[in-house]
Amino acid sequence: MGSKKEGLIQIVGAENVLDDPGTLEAWSKDQSLAAPLSPWFVVRPKDAVQVQALVVWANETGTPLVPVSSGGPHFLGDTVPSAPEAVIVDLSGMNAILRIDPRNRMAVIEPGVTYAQFDAALAGKGLRIARPLAPRANKSVVASLLERTPTVIPRLNYNLPEPLRTCGVVWGTGEVAFTGEAGYGPKSLEDQWKRGGAQVDPKGPGATDLMRLVTGAQGSMGIVIWASVRLDVAPTVHEYTFVPGQTLEELTGFWQRLTRTRLGDEVAVLNAAQLAQLVGKDAAEVEALRQELPPWVVVVGLAGAALFPEERLAVQRKDLDAIVQACGLKRVPALPGAGQADVASVFEGCSGEPHWKIRYRGASQQVFFLSTLEKVSFLVATVQAAAEAAGIPSAEVGVYVQPQHQGVVQHVELTLPYDPANRKQASRMKAVIAGASQDAIQGGAYFSRPYGDWADMVYARDADARHLLRLAKGIVDPKNVLNPGKLCF
Amino acid sequence: MALEDFRADAMRCTRCTYCRWIPFDLVKSERFAKGCPSIEAGQFHAYTAGGRLVTALSLMDGRSTVTEKVKDSVFKCTLCGQCDVSCKMCRYDMEPLAAMRELRFHLVEKGHTLPQLEPVLESLRTEFNMLQKPADERGDWAKKLKVKDLTKEKAEVVFHAGCRYSFDGDLSHVARLSVRILQEAGVDVGILGEAEHCCGGRAYGMGYKIDLMHSADHNLRTWKAAGVKTVVTPCAECFHTFKRLYAAEAGSAVEVVHMVQFVDRLVKEGKLRFTKAVPMTVTYHDPCHLGRQGEDHVPWDGVEKKIFGQAVAYDPPRPRYSGAFGVYEPPRDVLKAIPGIRLVEMERNREAAWCCGAGGGSREAYPDFSRATANERMEEAAGTGAEAIVSACPWCERNFSDAVEGGAEPMKVLDVISLVGRALGIEQEA
Amino acid sequence: MKEISRDAYRAIEDIVGPEHVTDDPALLDSYAFQWLAELVRPNLSHYMPRPWAVVMPKSTEEVAAVTKVCNKYGVKVKPISTGWYHWAAPLKDDEPTVQFDMRRMNRILEIDEKNMVAVVETGVICAQLQAEVMKRGLNINIIGAGCSTSIVASASAYFGGGPSSYFLGSNSDNLLGQEWVTPAGDVIRTGSLSSGCGWFCGEGPGPSPRAITRGSLGTRGGLGVFTKCAVKLGPWEGPPVLEPKGKPPAYRLPIPESFRVYTVGTPSFEALANIYYEIYDNAIGYIFHRQFNLAGADLAAALWLTYLDPKGTMNDVETRSKDPEVGKISDEARVSFQIILQGRSTADIELQDRILDEIIRRTGCFKVERFCEQDFAEFTNMYLQRMGHKHCNFIWVGGYMGSWMQPGTPDFVKGYVKTAIDGFERDQKSGLLVECGGDAMMGCGSTLGGGGFFALEQFVSYDPNDDDSVRACIKHMEDAIEDCKKNGIPLGKEYLYLQIGWTDERIWNDLAKMPQQFVLNFQRKIKEALDPNGLGDRNYPWIPEGWGKEKPIVTAEAGKPGKSAAAR
Repeated sequence: MGSKKEGLIQIVGAENVLDDPGTLEAWSKDQSLAAPLSPWFVVRPKDAVQVQALVVWANETGTPLVPVSSGGPHFLGDTVPSAPEAVIVDLSGMNAILRIDPRNRMAVIEPGVTYAQFDAALAGKGLRIARPLAPRANKSVVASLLERTPTVIPRLNYNLPEPLRTCGVVWGTGEVAFTGEAGYGPKSLEDQWKRGGAQVDPKGPGATDLMRLVTGAQGSMGIVIWASVRLDVAPTVHEYTFVPGQTLEELTGFWQRLTRTRLGDEVAVLNAAQLAQLVGKDAAEVEALRQELPPWVVVVGLAGAALFPEERLAVQRKDLDAIVQACGLKRVPALPGAGQADVASVFEGCSGEPHWKIRYRGASQQVFFLSTLEKVSFLVATVQAAAEAAGIPSAEVGVYVQPQHQGVVQHVELTLPYDPANRKQASRMKAVIAGASQDAIQGGAYFSRPYGDWADMVYARDADARHLLRLAKGIVDPKNVLNPGKLCF
Repeated sequence: MALEDFRADAMRCTRCTYCRWIPFDLVKSERFAKGCPSIEAGQFHAYTAGGRLVTALSLMDGRSTVTEKVKDSVFKCTLCGQCDVSCKMCRYDMEPLAAMRELRFHLVEKGHTLPQLEPVLESLRTEFNMLQKPADERGDWAKKLKVKDLTKEKAEVVFHAGCRYSFDGDLSHVARLSVRILQEAGVDVGILGEAEHCCGGRAYGMGYKIDLMHSADHNLRTWKAAGVKTVVTPCAECFHTFKRLYAAEAGSAVEVVHMVQFVDRLVKEGKLRFTKAVPMTVTYHDPCHLGRQGEDHVPWDGVEKKIFGQAVAYDPPRPRYSGAFGVYEPPRDVLKAIPGIRLVEMERNREAAWCCGAGGGSREAYPDFSRATANERMEEAAGTGAEAIVSACPWCERNFSDAVEGGAEPMKVLDVISLVGRALGIEQEA
Repeated sequence: MKEISRDAYRAIEDIVGPEHVTDDPALLDSYAFQWLAELVRPNLSHYMPRPWAVVMPKSTEEVAAVTKVCNKYGVKVKPISTGWYHWAAPLKDDEPTVQFDMRRMNRILEIDEKNMVAVVETGVICAQLQAEVMKRGLNINIIGAGCSTSIVASASAYFGGGPSSYFLGSNSDNLLGQEWVTPAGDVIRTGSLSSGCGWFCGEGPGPSPRAITRGSLGTRGGLGVFTKCAVKLGPWEGPPVLEPKGKPPAYRLPIPESFRVYTVGTPSFEALANIYYEIYDNAIGYIFHRQFNLAGADLAAALWLTYLDPKGTMNDVETRSKDPEVGKISDEARVSFQIILQGRSTADIELQDRILDEIIRRTGCFKVERFCEQDFAEFTNMYLQRMGHKHCNFIWVGGYMGSWMQPGTPDFVKGYVKTAIDGFERDQKSGLLVECGGDAMMGCGSTLGGGGFFALEQFVSYDPNDDDSVRACIKHMEDAIEDCKKNGIPLGKEYLYLQIGWTDERIWNDLAKMPQQFVLNFQRKIKEALDPNGLGDRNYPWIPEGWGKEKPIVTAEAGKPGKSAAAR
């Protein structure tokens, strides 16, 4: 252990190698149900050179590395070591915004750049980035995109990894190679910029799409040292409107038409419990709101950017009304307890503290997957039934449906809140989530991001993916030093 | 022309495969996007116009020899010309249909013939018809008509019934109706009866150019002797042969009119009035030889020249047979003028029409292929909801009728002139 | 060429039926004969290597079974769908190759209107699928190579950009689940499909297995056969069935109330870049493309106005080209592009129209009057909505070589245009290429969904029937490469084309100079695993281990996957 520490110190300096019990304890678990396992060290590299040296060192010493970019609390288990002797590579300090190119609407950022930080940097430039629902302020933009966390504006989601474009990666072999368009040029961003490259095209290099190897990988293929992301023109006018419903089914056709015609910016479907958890300031408020809000609501953000913003808004309102009417629904300008500012903060800002996932009962577990439209209601009901059976009332289960890929894919996410102090309930959660997930899988849910226990469930059924991913992993991380034990590795 | 004259076409083919499809702009469904019956049967690329250009090149350059498969790929094609239309959507320097015909001439000249065609060709050479019938029965269809016999009299207009209308009892009423209509219109018309010979167009398509020349020689001499200036025929194949092939190969200057054009003219001039309603929904099938191959012949004797360095033009400008100016509207206008008739279009119509399957010797040499091609068209026709498929060519009609008998969509198969006869109330007389 | 046992042929006959396999030389030649072959083959031959046999499978199972036979007998495999490109053929004379002609796998398996997903086999072409999805108010992205192309090919195995990619997404963006037969003969499925959840998602589970094959250029038949895929569909507000009017060749598609069709002229390429960014930022437009300059800026007006006349001939183009009035239109349209707006409502289209007008005003651009008149606008609408006139690339004389096309931001593209134009003008002076002006550069408004990234391709026309013209084209390709090198511009499409004729060693020597080698080594290892007998070709490129790190002393044989150069 001593020699390991010395090796790490040589790479990142003593002040950036942590192994005090408190730190290790904190990194040994997260909010998920992953089995705790203490890392041996937490290291904080400051640049790509150090990251590369760490990976080389890990190969030489056979040490597992767990790359982490975001601040806590973590919810998915991907940052908890699955193998002993692990070193957490905390990339949060690599948080430089390397370039914002307003003309091409591209930015290049390091993995430690957070939403709060990036929002602030973009605000003055009239730009924004397609973002997930209420991320925590210290959430890494790059990590969020690498994990294909759904973003809230379906019309901009031309493919699931959007707005992620290219990455600089230290692969598990210790080699540095860039993905996409950047993979063709010199291994220096500055040199590429000088030649007019802006790291826009995510495809490639060659016949391989390296970016798609690091997405959804939980840090198991390579450590991303920078990423280029597409930006959008920030709206100058922006409002939210709401289409409530008694059931999910009665709203399905509506949001399908919205996304199909690419109307509106933000489009998300929330149940009362979910919206309450997102906007309620504390447990009591969540509880009150949950009862007050309509059972289901489609939240639609209407925005006007660039030329004629007001006119854009007016046209969208008119077109929206036509669809609402055609669907036999009504739209309302506000919801009780969820005003424009509250909703804007959910869709355009970051979660308040404590994070919304733990605000209601102190803890929660998520079940999320992808689905086609017609299965959404059934799958939601499936998971709700499992929750109900475990003593979590359906009415408390948050449901969030996020159309992705311009309406082709539905991200379905259920949040099961529980009291961590209630030992009986907490101890049952692992089985509940496993059961609910199995039921959902049986019902056709696609667990495209298989965290924790889901990995075994998914890859047991998917020999093709298992085969190809293991093949790729064997090439880019032959010694399996990057986050071993995750996915099918 | 010789095969070598098409070397440039072959060398400049880019294998784009447009020749397999109808012009893409006209595609309305997955089902009816295809345009080439040949590749549907033969599957390999050699069964397309582009593929045959390569075959020609390969043979000319001695890369390959004529095998049974090569013969099959060259002859299993209706020469419908859809490929020619599609190719010319974007090209001004290609003549795929002419090249495919030339390839057949080449094979026949070298003795690579199809035995299945021998009886038909023998019939043409000895009995002057393609139906293997005795020559002396050719005029039987008109026995009860009072019409000038141009072997004895003279007239400005000769009505040429063609082999199929002459000998096919199911269809010969169309010839009789036609004569009746011409006479009613006051046309100085006669027929040749036994002295009428096959136009030779089908033999030409089969690769036997010399037989076309023999037919042309006879027919043109006979017409001249009878003082004929105009030939009217209800047969699309004869129409094309007289209009395009006789003009191109034998220098004919005789005016050629298809019967539907003639009727259309009469209707538009107010000389023909339809008095009987024919309540029927019909769809019109464009015969290849009246439609996309029915454009006027334009004499040309020129050479290729380069403009803008390397672009290809011709000196003088070469006529462009693109299917744009085929005979499409007259039959439709006639049908629309008949009270009670509702005309509905198939997806593939006019220059994009799917072939009936009878052309290019296919009916004679490859009956299965011919029938499958007809079946495909019948299916498309049935999809329009029409009761009847109507055409203006006896070969199409025969092939469709045979298809119906063989189990294709149970639709009526009619000639435009039959419906005209009904609308005039003279059908029974014929 | 090595002898292959007749048993292999017989085994393939048993699988697909004797009528669906051929080794007749003339029939094989119709596959060997390929566009661009004369630019790379010895003696300017129009033939790529002749396949050992052509096989037409009807099902994925047949593809897999034949591939297994090929593994047993050492025959390479190369699929084509519609079969257009020299690299679609076998690449080497001494390698017996089964060419899969995929046209019999031609079913649209599913159109899921609600979820906007279509599932197709390889033989389905864009025109067919578009016609069907339009009936459901949906549309597909048709790639720049036109609607005669296979959806599966462009989505799974090639580039995938087109005039509508700006709005409808490129076919890389749109690729969902896919089915693939590896060179080992294994059937692999990707995305949600492999998890048994249907076709709707192309990513995951976890990292996306499509990463291995669906890069920038795709595998181009070099790593097995893609047999099915699903693609994302997008909104179509036009009529359910396209009803063009007029006579061939220039059919005209009436412009519905919810559409606008314009050709916009700009005073310079600088202005073109500026208006591009404005359009991109304003997120208007359904189709965004620079089409008509493929004929060359000097001749485009004369050509297309002639094309509109069903009786027009090339001689008319020559006459028109001397008409001063046409000359004015040429100048107006010199640096122009086409944009088609689609609105979901009257209010929407009217606003987009207004926004475009304002953008045009702000950038000092203008609408090209003649090209915006009804007849031409309707023709433009037809051309770009269906992409059925792609073959006009070859309109001058049948030979077209697309050069340049380096993709990048508008500012990047603007940066290489002058070099491309000057070089083309210089080489046209030989009289051996079509003299159409130096700017015959066309391209999609975006090769990525949403815009921001595109390329301009220089359309070099030459006569394939004239050896001198062919040689002039080759020289121009070489010149263009030199021009790029001199000016620090990445190499373009002509380089990719020429490579097809090169030896493995020459290619590896060039690849070894690439600044980043990682992906080439990755692809070698993928090949080693998925193609143990080397049935695929170098369209899925790799580099031998250690190549370039020392003086290249190994033979091509050693460079095949599984052989280590270093070991020698």
